Amino acid sequence: MTERLEVIIANRLDEIPRLAEAIEAYCETANVSLKAIYNLNLALDELITNLVSYGYDDGGRHDIVVRVNVTDDRLTAEMIDDGKPFDPLQDAPNPPLDASLDERPIGGLGLYFVRTLMDDVRYSREDSRNRLVLTKRLKD
Amino acid sequence: MQVIDETVGDVLVVKPGGRLDSNTSPSFEKHLLERLEGTTSLIVDFADLDYISSAGLRVLLMAAKRAKQTNGRMIICNLRGPIREVFEISGFMSILTVCDDRDAALAKVAA
Repeated sequence: MTERLEVIIANRLDEIPRLAEAIEAYCETANVSLKAIYNLNLALDELITNLVSYGYDDGGRHDIVVRVNVTDDRLTAEMIDDGKPFDPLQDAPNPPLDASLDERPIGGLGLYFVRTLMDDVRYSREDSRNRLVLTKRLKD
Repeated sequence: MQVIDETVGDVLVVKPGGRLDSNTSPSFEKHLLERLEGTTSLIVDFADLDYISSAGLRVLLMAAKRAKQTNGRMIICNLRGPIREVFEISGFMSILTVCDDRDAALAKVAA
């Protein structure tokens, strides 16, 4: 079994590509499909972009811890941050996917991707930190 | 990310490469909206694009709305596997004009 990956990034958008590269390299050695890697990286990107943009009030540097683990049948990522309490499963309506071009609002897709592309998303608030566990099944 | 502008005949093709995410979407937005000011129809070729997030999709939606307002059109082509899937689950295949490859996009512009 492959060892788990842990990456600690700062609360800056430009850390997201570095995280994505580390996850890609780790998952490729574990033979995870490119599609599953893309979907996990997209979900984490949306969560981190949201967190960096809205999750902190003090303008300071914060660590975001991401741990990724591959087992035979699932890809699991854990993300821990000390931002404001935020549960991505709550208070986020799905975008109107059937709306016409004129009626379609700009935005609202990020958290929808997290909920749609992952098979399981669990949120908890522990010790003044947000903890999210994302799971993607690797075999259908 | 890098963005290349190409001209095929009199059609402008904008070709972004690399990652279109929350880091790069502001500059891509500026680039695309500026190009749309100067032309009625353009093609966005995603052959070299590795990754798109909701921040990138937001730019495409804005540009498509802008193009429609000015009676222009924006045609997107060469969506690679995972990027196509993101378009599909976003409902973008039905509100944006998407072609399989550049030839099909050029034919659509000429039509």
